[in-house]
Amino acid sequence: MRDKAFASYHPIILFVYFTVTVFITMFTMHPVLLGISFVGSIVFCGTLIGVKELFKSLAYSVPILIIIALTNPLFSHNGETILFFLNDNPVTAEAICYGVAIAVMIISMYYWFKCYHAVMTSDKFVFLFGRFLPKLALLLSMTLGFVPKLKKRYREINEAQKAMGIYTSKSYVDRIRSKVRVMSILLTWSLENSVDTADSMRARGYGLKGRSSYAIYRWHRQDTVMACIAFALSAGVIWLMFSGYGDYNFYPTLAKIDVSALAFTLYAGLFILMFLSTVIEIKENLLWRYLRSKI
Amino acid sequence: MAILTLENLTFTYPNAITCALDNINLSIERGEFVVLCGESGCGKSTLLRLLKKQLQPKGNKSGKVLYDGVEIENLDERTSVTAIGFVMQNPDNQIVTDKVWHELAFGLESLGEDSDEIRRRVAEISGFFGIGDWYHKKTCELSGGQKQLLNLASIMVMQPQILVLDEPTSQLDPIAASDFIATLRKINEELGMTIVLVEHRLEEVFPLAHKVAVMNKANVLMVDTPKNIGKRLLQEDSGHKMLLGLPSAVRIYQSLKADGECPLSVREGREFLQGYKNTYPGFDVQDEDYSNRKKAIEISEGFFRYERDTPDVLNGLNLTVYENEILCILGGNGAGKTTTLKIMSGTRRLYRGKLRIWDKKIKEYSGNSLYRRNISCLPQNPQILFVKNTLKDDLMEVTKLMGYDKAQSQQKIQAIAKELEIEHLLDSHPFDLSGGEQQKSAFAKLLLTEPKIILLDEPTKGIDAYSKKILADILYRLKAQGMTIVIVTHDVEFAAEHADRCGMFFDGQIVSLCNPVDFFSSNNYYTTAASRISRGQYKNAVTVDMVVQLCEKNGRVNGNG
Repeated sequence: MRDKAFASYHPIILFVYFTVTVFITMFTMHPVLLGISFVGSIVFCGTLIGVKELFKSLAYSVPILIIIALTNPLFSHNGETILFFLNDNPVTAEAICYGVAIAVMIISMYYWFKCYHAVMTSDKFVFLFGRFLPKLALLLSMTLGFVPKLKKRYREINEAQKAMGIYTSKSYVDRIRSKVRVMSILLTWSLENSVDTADSMRARGYGLKGRSSYAIYRWHRQDTVMACIAFALSAGVIWLMFSGYGDYNFYPTLAKIDVSALAFTLYAGLFILMFLSTVIEIKENLLWRYLRSKI
Repeated sequence: MAILTLENLTFTYPNAITCALDNINLSIERGEFVVLCGESGCGKSTLLRLLKKQLQPKGNKSGKVLYDGVEIENLDERTSVTAIGFVMQNPDNQIVTDKVWHELAFGLESLGEDSDEIRRRVAEISGFFGIGDWYHKKTCELSGGQKQLLNLASIMVMQPQILVLDEPTSQLDPIAASDFIATLRKINEELGMTIVLVEHRLEEVFPLAHKVAVMNKANVLMVDTPKNIGKRLLQEDSGHKMLLGLPSAVRIYQSLKADGECPLSVREGREFLQGYKNTYPGFDVQDEDYSNRKKAIEISEGFFRYERDTPDVLNGLNLTVYENEILCILGGNGAGKTTTLKIMSGTRRLYRGKLRIWDKKIKEYSGNSLYRRNISCLPQNPQILFVKNTLKDDLMEVTKLMGYDKAQSQQKIQAIAKELEIEHLLDSHPFDLSGGEQQKSAFAKLLLTEPKIILLDEPTKGIDAYSKKILADILYRLKAQGMTIVIVTHDVEFAAEHADRCGMFFDGQIVSLCNPVDFFSSNNYYTTAASRISRGQYKNAVTVDMVVQLCEKNGRVNGNG
């Protein structure tokens, strides 16, 4: 698969970027910051997986958002603005807002992880660990290669056993028995096959001293530029958040939103940081169209 | 000086009474393409494994294996890893990592090469093997042929001096196999690589070899050029099991007891046949009349797909299998052959169309009734039928399901074991058996359900010519007992010799279905080597035996034969 524009950055940058966005989202309850993160994650996800797919996933996540938002006021009765009573318990506007904020945070994290999944393919992840723990990286890579093999074998065995007509009756006990049988064959067979894999590794020098770890990823100039921008933005944002500009209280009454210059700097900084990925993605797409129109 | 020399090599496995290799002497020169052949279990694989220090089996070894004059054991680890490259049989099992690029780099990583060096070498090898297109793919997405090519490439990237291959094409379909062989040839010719190859399928390999070593039980019977082997093998050992596995041209030559140069390839075979008259131009065949026979399986207008969004695998399939026939279904990879078998065995259902078994809809067979005394299916890998620790327990399981009591079970199992000649294997673990033995044991398991229809998926894959003959004998016996047999196979030679009817599968349908003689003589490309050799000279001669028969009848051009 051809990498998307943002995905073509060095895995370390991608990893740090997603870590920062997810952590910022996780550690703030500030409505503006959450709003930025929410929109940022959804828009970026849309550019990665396409609008159609995005709407499909929104069809699931919006109802979840509503459910989470409505659950909070049922259990939390803090806050001063009582809207009405439900079973003699007050339902407050503050609790509803808090529920919405929590829901928005969860959904944004979900979409950031969805983007992470689309961008960080397994070999990038393996590469990241390979730098520090080459053995673990190889183990990961082997596991990732082994799982599909195992699945394929499972299907094959299952069909063969079915066609033998062994334990295919509808009874519950028989079904469990049949699964146990399939698993037992799968295990024996896989162990048998892994002897070959071990031989193949030894034949290619596994176990020699001084093993290196090869990666197809190289550090380009765009990575340096990106690293500088992202680092400056994240450092600023995190510093401002630690200085209290990212704090917000829902109880007892909704706090006023800070509109001081520094607070605005924080909003703007986070906005740029979180939309950086989307901008790169869109810019590249436009650039392609432009270049093609030139031909 | 020879690159590899075996001196008085003898090897015995622990706890074995007879030795696996007995006093073997062999020398291989630089740049030679050596083919090692012999029946299964004659010690070929043991011999190959002794060539690589890291893969040497445990046991009692005497004699020497010299690489470039140095004993293998005394080579330093690095040299012995890089200098001798080893490719094994199963394409899947040799792959270690999840991505193609990582697999290529694996060996170099072990050697501790730095990233730039690895990048350069991997790039080079990808170019040579044409891997560029699937360089970023996951290894599990590759086809069998691509996987084996990747295994070869990831050995070649370590720049070996000698390449050792243990039946590398046995798990591949014919097209992937000939691609692989062509690559070997390229490596040998363009790079001067020394190659030692063990192979069952000799049709294509034989003409390429510089030297062929024929093994008997535990020792090397003869080492000579392929042409001389073709000549000598029959004269020196007329009962040798390898004779069946030789290329068609050689077998025709041998059966006619001709003298002069032995033909190896199809082209040479055609030239050789020019030496025979064609007064009798060939055979006349007629399709048997099936209209009075009972229909065992009938699929009409069958449509099938695996997922809702994927294309149809079966695309309006019409197929009737008649009682007591051997039907072979041939065709390329992914044409839907195996799927058809799954449909017939009831593990998958058509989404449109009808499937009747003995004139009864498949839905009407409730519970296990389809699999008791009716249909039985032998999967491509017979191993996956075995669950227990001994073969006997495995067979007992089936008799128990069939509802026999203990005495009856014993009796049934003994009878089947005797018929299939596996009595001596009953107490061994099913996974310890050889390919051919496993297949026979799997057959025993199937036959205990007393089927009327047997479905076989690629039964000739990975077994040698002699085991194929045994398989064919079993099939004939079953047919004589009234069984209906459906075989899905790539093996055109096997189909030509043993089928009653052959069907060609293409694009989810059967495109031609007739008796094997008509089938293969009207095909120009998808046909047997014997048919290609005799084409133009004789009509309708599709097997080696038929060609030989015609030659004998016609006699030599300027002789009195």
